[in-house]
Amino acid sequence: MGAAFDSISFKASLCDGCGDCMTACSTAKQGASRISIVPGAKAGTFETAICRQCGDPKCVQVCPSGALDKDGGNGVVGWDASKCVDCLLCTAGCAYGGIAVDETVARVAKCDQCDGDPACVKVCPTGALEYRKAGTIFNQYGDKEDLFVPGLSGCQGCNSELIMRHAMRKIGRNSVLATPPGCIPGMGSVGYNGKTGTKVPVFHPLLTNTASMLAGIRRYYDRIGRKDIVVMALAGDGGTSDCGFHAVSGAAERGEKVLYVCVDNEGYMNTGMQRSGTTPYGSWTSTTPVGEHMKGKTQDAKNLPLIMTAHKCRYVATASTGYMEDLYEKLDRAVEASFEGFSYLHIYSPCPTGWRVPSSKVIEACRMSVDSNFNPLWEYTNSTGLRFTHSPDNAYPVAEYVKMIGKYRHLSQDQLAHIQAKVDEQVALLKLMAAESPPPLAAHRAPTGSSTPVGAEPTQSARREIARN
Amino acid sequence: MNEITAPTGKVIVCDGNEAAAWGACLSRPDMVAVYPITPQSSLVEYLAQFIADGRMDADLMDVEGEHTVLSVLHGAVLAGARTYSATSAQGLAFMFEPYFRTPGLRLPMVVSLVTRDAVSPTCVWGGQQDAMTVKEVGWIHMYCETQQEILDTIPIAYKVAEHPDVMLPVNVNHDGNYLSYGVARVELPEQSVVDAFLGEKQVNWHACLDPERPMAVDPLTGGAGGVGPSMFVKYRKGLCSGMQTALQVIEDAHADWGKRTGRYWSPLIEEYRMEDAEVALVTIGSMTGAAKDAVDEARADGKKVGLVKIKTFRPFPAARIAQALSKVKAIGVVDRSVNFGWNCGPAFQEVLAALYAHQTARIPMMSFIGGLAGADITVEHFAQVVRRTFRLAGGEAAAGPVWLNEND
Repeated sequence: MGAAFDSISFKASLCDGCGDCMTACSTAKQGASRISIVPGAKAGTFETAICRQCGDPKCVQVCPSGALDKDGGNGVVGWDASKCVDCLLCTAGCAYGGIAVDETVARVAKCDQCDGDPACVKVCPTGALEYRKAGTIFNQYGDKEDLFVPGLSGCQGCNSELIMRHAMRKIGRNSVLATPPGCIPGMGSVGYNGKTGTKVPVFHPLLTNTASMLAGIRRYYDRIGRKDIVVMALAGDGGTSDCGFHAVSGAAERGEKVLYVCVDNEGYMNTGMQRSGTTPYGSWTSTTPVGEHMKGKTQDAKNLPLIMTAHKCRYVATASTGYMEDLYEKLDRAVEASFEGFSYLHIYSPCPTGWRVPSSKVIEACRMSVDSNFNPLWEYTNSTGLRFTHSPDNAYPVAEYVKMIGKYRHLSQDQLAHIQAKVDEQVALLKLMAAESPPPLAAHRAPTGSSTPVGAEPTQSARREIARN
Repeated sequence: MNEITAPTGKVIVCDGNEAAAWGACLSRPDMVAVYPITPQSSLVEYLAQFIADGRMDADLMDVEGEHTVLSVLHGAVLAGARTYSATSAQGLAFMFEPYFRTPGLRLPMVVSLVTRDAVSPTCVWGGQQDAMTVKEVGWIHMYCETQQEILDTIPIAYKVAEHPDVMLPVNVNHDGNYLSYGVARVELPEQSVVDAFLGEKQVNWHACLDPERPMAVDPLTGGAGGVGPSMFVKYRKGLCSGMQTALQVIEDAHADWGKRTGRYWSPLIEEYRMEDAEVALVTIGSMTGAAKDAVDEARADGKKVGLVKIKTFRPFPAARIAQALSKVKAIGVVDRSVNFGWNCGPAFQEVLAALYAHQTARIPMMSFIGGLAGADITVEHFAQVVRRTFRLAGGEAAAGPVWLNEND
């Protein structure tokens, strides 16, 4: 398996040309900025000139002195000042304007990504610059065992399969997995006729009782002192927001120590694309069809993750495969929290079949749903409140998002305006919650007798009471 | 009838719900999940108090409804726990989805059904309509006559449920109001006696969720082609076989319990004064006491009448019942519930079928329905049943069902 690298990404549509990145870079490096914001092809737009840390760098090829070399560890094309003969050939060789010349010292100025904490990204006020750590995920988890068998019968481009495989690869074998009726068992995770599709203990709860069964398992494992097992669900939105909601709500109220992952594809996709409680307003589904008298769903979606914050869960977060680093970080926190109380992770999952999205556009749809604030990314804990993990500012209009999705093909201007208004309303509410949230605690200490992973609390006996949060 | 023996344990005075709670407590379940419903509520309260007092070492799960009660217990059993719960009527109805699933997964557990008539018309009083409605689901159903029998039957039920050749859930049923609130002398067996009777708890590896031994529990089974349908049939046949095996296991467990405690309860059916009986009554549950008194009175008048009490209703001890009733001239079956669509009580229909399956002679039978909605079935009601059954034996045509409390 080859190595993958983290990189600085630039989203031209969010750049307003303020130049703060350049200032930050030159301050950090005490010299010329390694990044340049330059006018774009159209008036009022901007592009960036920055080192792409190319896989097959032209600058290295043209360097006559061996001063430039790609680091196999972090992927940064590094510059060795002691070897450089200041010929500046590299600046001509780079097609991206990625190597600047520092006029004050007449030497090259080359982006080194600030050792993984780029100054330019930190100051970008619009979110146009982003430090993507997907390379780290690939390097850390790429060769970890896939806990589902190859050949699950998901639809082509299925985002839920992506979520399942990534989540279980991250969480590992020491887990008990519930996959209630829906796409996830439908594609063979629990298996058919005695053959299983999952390598960890997996069960097929009823559509209605996933959280309850998990609670029973965890309570008994706690009772017998098996505190290192992640007891978790990969459930669909129907079984979570609709007929399974009493179980989710009850388990959350009681502070049951389970990880509940809701894979939200906004409908009952396994059974023929019917509406669910999380199907957004205006969506075509087979039970909210488009005809002369009806133009898709007439109600707004239930905001399930927000409802879960009202349960004072130990952890609640939204995530998307469009932002995999964020998802991985949240999985870590969600797993940790699941040993202390109810942990709820809501992952948006565009369904190419049910939403009428080409398979190749699924990840783009994930990105756009986040970047348009249709599905903002945030997390909540009962001690620190709510915080965004992706800036909700400078969002695309929702129209940009829905136009790539077939289930919204019929939308009228009125419907579109309604959706935009609801998105704005939702973001405003989240911002209010974020603003009123206390700052994160310096340290979190688990209460006495809590069910922390094995090794963390070696002397604690089995816990009998669930802490009310 | 059981004699009152010299007590080997402590004697208390309690109602049927407390007796059930003691039965559960002595069986040492790991997990108890509850949601209160009339007339089961005080049972839940006793359990909660036992746990609060440290008398009972179990995890108490106060959950948001009966659907979750049974669901959390499913999870717990799959993780290796011994579990207990109790419910009634609407609670059982709300529990139905996981209830249906329990025997199919072969999960051994014991749940007390404090029987009650089911709405509508709205009614919170005793009756057996709830239990009779779910008799085909695959749970073992046992009905108790007295508070002592409730207590004793619960450990027996665990022994049956957890038997490797059975592996089925058991409902230990006692009549709402009559037994749930009726107070009687009850002997508590020593904990050591129950511990020795039940033995070490085993993990049910046939279906278990443990990362040490990963398995898929309840994969999709069936569908057209391949091994699907035959595999589904295999599971169904296994469940049927477990049920039939349970008949013997129930007898053995009762015998073992009798040896240890001196209380020999009739495991499948109890025959009362049947030796030379010309007519027989068939009863279930708490009504049996009044019925036995009526039989005694009739005997005192020289009428040869006997009684068969059904304790185990599922699996139905058809051969034993047919044998017990083989020599009588008429049978009156008294139910506390209704078999809609057959215009009789459920037990009547079952006995009818048992006799057809195991006898060639046709014995006249009549259905009596009483005790609905907590109504009393008195000795006088049973005397009426005896009179009508003798008339049946004398050649009068059967006319039923007779609604015993119709004019009360």
